[in-house]
Amino acid sequence: MRTKRLLSVLLLAVTFVAGTGVTLAADAKAENPKAVKAQMEIDKADKARKKAASVESEWTTTGKLIKKAQAALKKGDYDTATRLAKQAGEQGEIAYEQGASQKELRMPSYLKY
Amino acid sequence: MTKKSTRLVPMAGMVILLAGPLQVATVAAAEGASAVAEGKAISFKRSKGNCLACHMIEGGESPGNVGPPLIAMKARYPDKAKLRAQIFDATAFNPDSAMVPFGKHRILTEDEIDKVTEYIWTL
Amino acid sequence: MPASQVIERICLEKRHIMKKTLIKMGALFLAGGVALAAQAATPEEDRTAFTNHYKFRFPDVPMEEYPNGAYAIDKIGRENWEAIEEFPPYEPFIDEGQEMWETPFANGKTYKDCFSDGPGIKSQYPRWDKKQGMVITMALAINQCREANGEKALKYKKGPIVPLMSYMAFESRGQITNVVIPEDDPRAMAAYESGKKFYFTRRGQLNFSCATCHVQNTGLKVRTEVLSPSLGHTTHWPVYRSKWGTAGTLHRRFTGCNRNIRAKPMKAQGEQYRNLEYFLTYLSNGLTLNGPGARK
Ligand code: HEC
Ligand code: HEC
Repeated sequence: MRTKRLLSVLLLAVTFVAGTGVTLAADAKAENPKAVKAQMEIDKADKARKKAASVESEWTTTGKLIKKAQAALKKGDYDTATRLAKQAGEQGEIAYEQGASQKELRMPSYLKY
Repeated sequence: MTKKSTRLVPMAGMVILLAGPLQVATVAAAEGASAVAEGKAISFKRSKGNCLACHMIEGGESPGNVGPPLIAMKARYPDKAKLRAQIFDATAFNPDSAMVPFGKHRILTEDEIDKVTEYIWTL
Repeated sequence: MPASQVIERICLEKRHIMKKTLIKMGALFLAGGVALAAQAATPEEDRTAFTNHYKFRFPDVPMEEYPNGAYAIDKIGRENWEAIEEFPPYEPFIDEGQEMWETPFANGKTYKDCFSDGPGIKSQYPRWDKKQGMVITMALAINQCREANGEKALKYKKGPIVPLMSYMAFESRGQITNVVIPEDDPRAMAAYESGKKFYFTRRGQLNFSCATCHVQNTGLKVRTEVLSPSLGHTTHWPVYRSKWGTAGTLHRRFTGCNRNIRAKPMKAQGEQYRNLEYFLTYLSNGLTLNGPGARK
């Protein structure tokens, strides 16, 4: 009887501690709006990078910026992460435009036929 | 004594009045000079402007010759904005231009292009 | 006068006559006609346009000099190069490659069983393979041979494929570039066109096409590097590069030229680079193979 009660109390305690533990960790990740924003910008940048790659126009600089942004996010430097990710996203869009605008071969004027 | 001091007051005032704009002017000149110096550093740096890859510029080492020598820039570009536009995106004027579109492709920031323009305009 | 020159003469004269008639036909039609010609240029028209472009730029450089790359047009670079060629840095690669060529696979067969004309077979590549529906380069053929014999494929930019190809290139010296685009398979022409498109497409943050440097600005200098003409770009691989401190393949060079303009390179021996090699090698038709080579 006594041991049973003790056990259930213990169990309750354990679930409580574990529960709060989980929610706390989740809070830190999910509820810091700056971290959320940085992650969002990184995802956006990677999408733009892939879009540029889809027209064979990816720049080498874009992936590097995204990696740096991810490292900054990991370190908790959310402002830097967001700034770098935004730069990368912009590059991805420009690179896509560069590729897409040359979908048709346009021969340059310096080569005479 | 009193006469002297009454004459001194307006004189002091004039000195202050003169020093005011003078001080502003020197600050502006210093800022301009540092913009030119920074612009030169950006222009010469390989990972930034790297203008020497293609242009002869006075004082620059081992220049290329894909582009014309950058000389007499004020005469060639009386309008500074036009010079900035060439540096920002040369392909806007000539789609086959071999010059790197420094602004359009975000190789240099707006501020860096301003400084490069200031420097190139002194050539 | 050699036959190729005679043919070129005739082509030039034909162009001349065509131009005259076109002028007579009126300006409007002329504009339309020229635009059309540029769009639908045949490979031979492309090759002629490139050839004329370089002949105009370098009137004193004979065609047979183009396989020497920048050293055909850069006198200072040439002196250094000639000194280097006295003791060719690629020689050990040829020897090592010969050993590879002669060493049987685990199953007892050798490269000779795949390439009966080998080892001097460089002028047979790149070629259109109708059955596989793709451009086959010599590097790809080597790995197809290895895999068919239960051996692991080799890497395409550096490593053991380089000595093997160096030996095969050496044994192919003196052969003439002769890329064929078979007319009975439209996919072959599409592959050529895709290589051509790659060549003229601006890429990377620095916004260059291959042609920006090697056609528009050939003979000029980026910093101290003289830009070589496209003609002759494919005759001398693999190349021992002082900058690499070793020898490497053509596709390694493609990778480098893409990286320099901050464009993400394509996969070595992937479809884009194979088609690019097909186009680029076609331009050198008629030029003598002189691999392996040495460059700065
Ligand atoms: C890859 C080669 C290249 C690089 C790098 C380059 N330029 Fe140019 N530049 C050119 C070419 C080619 C022209 C000729 C005009 C044209 O095609 O746009 C030119 C033209 C110019 C002109 C106009 C000159 C005139 O007399 O009209 C200016 C100014 C100029 N460049 C400035 C710069 C500056 C500043 C930089 C560095 C930030 C730079 N360029 C980097 C190739 C280059
Ligand atoms: C920014 C200018 C630039 C661009 C763009 C460029 N290259 Fe190059 N390339 C060079 C330079 C510089 C060298 C070394 C000197 C030389 O041989 O021209 C070189 C060398 C080469 C060589 C070796 C030449 C030899 O004799 O061994 C090949 C092949 C080549 N480039 C192909 C290409 C192709 C294909 C592209 C497009 C994907 C390209 N390059 C784009 C500058 C450029």
